[in-house]
Amino acid sequence: MFFLKMSLGAVQGLFQKPFRKNEILQQLYFVGNGSLLIIVFCVCFAAVVTILESSFHMKMVIQNDSMVPGFAALLILRELGVVVTALLLTSRVGAGFAAEVGSMQVTEQVDALKMLGIDPVQYLVSPRLIACILGSLFLVIVANLTCLFCAMLVSENMLGYSAQMFLTSMRRFVSFQDLIFAMIKGVVFGTVIPLVSCYFGFFCKPGADGVGKATTQSVVFSSITIIVLDFVLSYTFSFFY
Amino acid sequence: MKVETKVGLLAVLSLVLILVFASMMGMISPFSNANELNIMYNYAGGIEEGSPIRVMGIKVGKVKKILFDPTYKSASGEEVKLRIIITVDKKAWSSVRQDSRFFINLAGVIGEKFLEISPGSTEKPEFKPGDYVRGEDPPRIDQLISQGYGLAGKVIEMLNKNEGSVTNMITQLDKLTTNFNKTLVLFDKTAQNAEFSRLLKNAIKISDDTAYLMGNLRSKKAEDTYELVHRLLFRLEPVDGPRIKKFFQEEGIRAKIF
Repeated sequence: MFFLKMSLGAVQGLFQKPFRKNEILQQLYFVGNGSLLIIVFCVCFAAVVTILESSFHMKMVIQNDSMVPGFAALLILRELGVVVTALLLTSRVGAGFAAEVGSMQVTEQVDALKMLGIDPVQYLVSPRLIACILGSLFLVIVANLTCLFCAMLVSENMLGYSAQMFLTSMRRFVSFQDLIFAMIKGVVFGTVIPLVSCYFGFFCKPGADGVGKATTQSVVFSSITIIVLDFVLSYTFSFFY
Repeated sequence: MKVETKVGLLAVLSLVLILVFASMMGMISPFSNANELNIMYNYAGGIEEGSPIRVMGIKVGKVKKILFDPTYKSASGEEVKLRIIITVDKKAWSSVRQDSRFFINLAGVIGEKFLEISPGSTEKPEFKPGDYVRGEDPPRIDQLISQGYGLAGKVIEMLNKNEGSVTNMITQLDKLTTNFNKTLVLFDKTAQNAEFSRLLKNAIKISDDTAYLMGNLRSKKAEDTYELVHRLLFRLEPVDGPRIKKFFQEEGIRAKIF
């Protein structure tokens, strides 16, 4: 119940003054720029594994891997780029949010905000929510495209398909709406991460142990939510093809 | 660098990457170097927007748009209801002539559809951008299967109705084959017989001699001989019977003496 109330409060807080522009920018920097390198690094390796494994399996089954660039690109755009990004964001940003809010809860800073007449949800959750939504959106785009370029590079150097052949095969399977759906998923996951993390932060038990548990729980719960929501969204989007 | 600038750079990078992706998908092509043509079909056989266009097997463009145009009538009065707008690179534009033909073909392991343009003859003029052309409708496999299915049904029905006749026909055919086989065996045995071989050899010799004779009869010498005989007969014609009789009697007596 508190989760729903907090979520609604956070969304309302986005449209209520004062707009804490600097705080939002700081959080966006933390979410977006701070996670950029680690996400790009991880998705590049995921792309390499995806395309090589696809090629191996295709060669094993039909002795021909000419469709691999298209399949790999589709898999990257529909699942890999978004889910890996979201899970990495959960680990890095979600854990950070949970620990930060949890520490404030434990040290009664949240209560102090209430005493000052400041809504802690609007003060703490709303900037993180908008920052995480935008950051996740930017990161999903960058991750997907980096992943595609990486797959293209691997297919050129290891599978013998030129960039033009990769693009031709990709165009056979991929359409622009795949990127749009990936962006929608990014926005949804970007909404889930701060809400779940802040929720566990608000319900943090006293002591360092409590903060640790809240952080762990937030990461676990966010990851599960992301996986489940990914299934729901993928199933829903399948009706648009 | 300020935080705002760094965040702004990330946003700009995302936007640029979206544009790059759109360009990769062929949705935007700011440096396009292609002309458009409208190809009319009644059945497009599963071609899609973005399908490649090939001239002599080389990709030179893509299907830009597919439109339903129920009111369109060609210059010959034919109703053609499907309009496929294609782009053809300018480098291949001069190969596409007014007598070029537009086929929908299959390629690749997964049966990718593409539009093949046969190169036209140089005597015919080039198309103008935006011209309307009638394409060659691909064969409908579904109709073919349906017709084949109907045909198979009719054959089965006919067989069921005339079961006795068909059985009889098969028996007769079997007998005919057996008899034919026996005849062949007999012929083989006869061919191996010595007398028959001699007969055959003689027949071959006669045939050779006849051919030689006929060849000689057609020669210049034979023609001259024929002419001589003809002249002799012409000269003998006025000679009366008693004088010939007398001549042969005298000749006969002379022959007896000598």
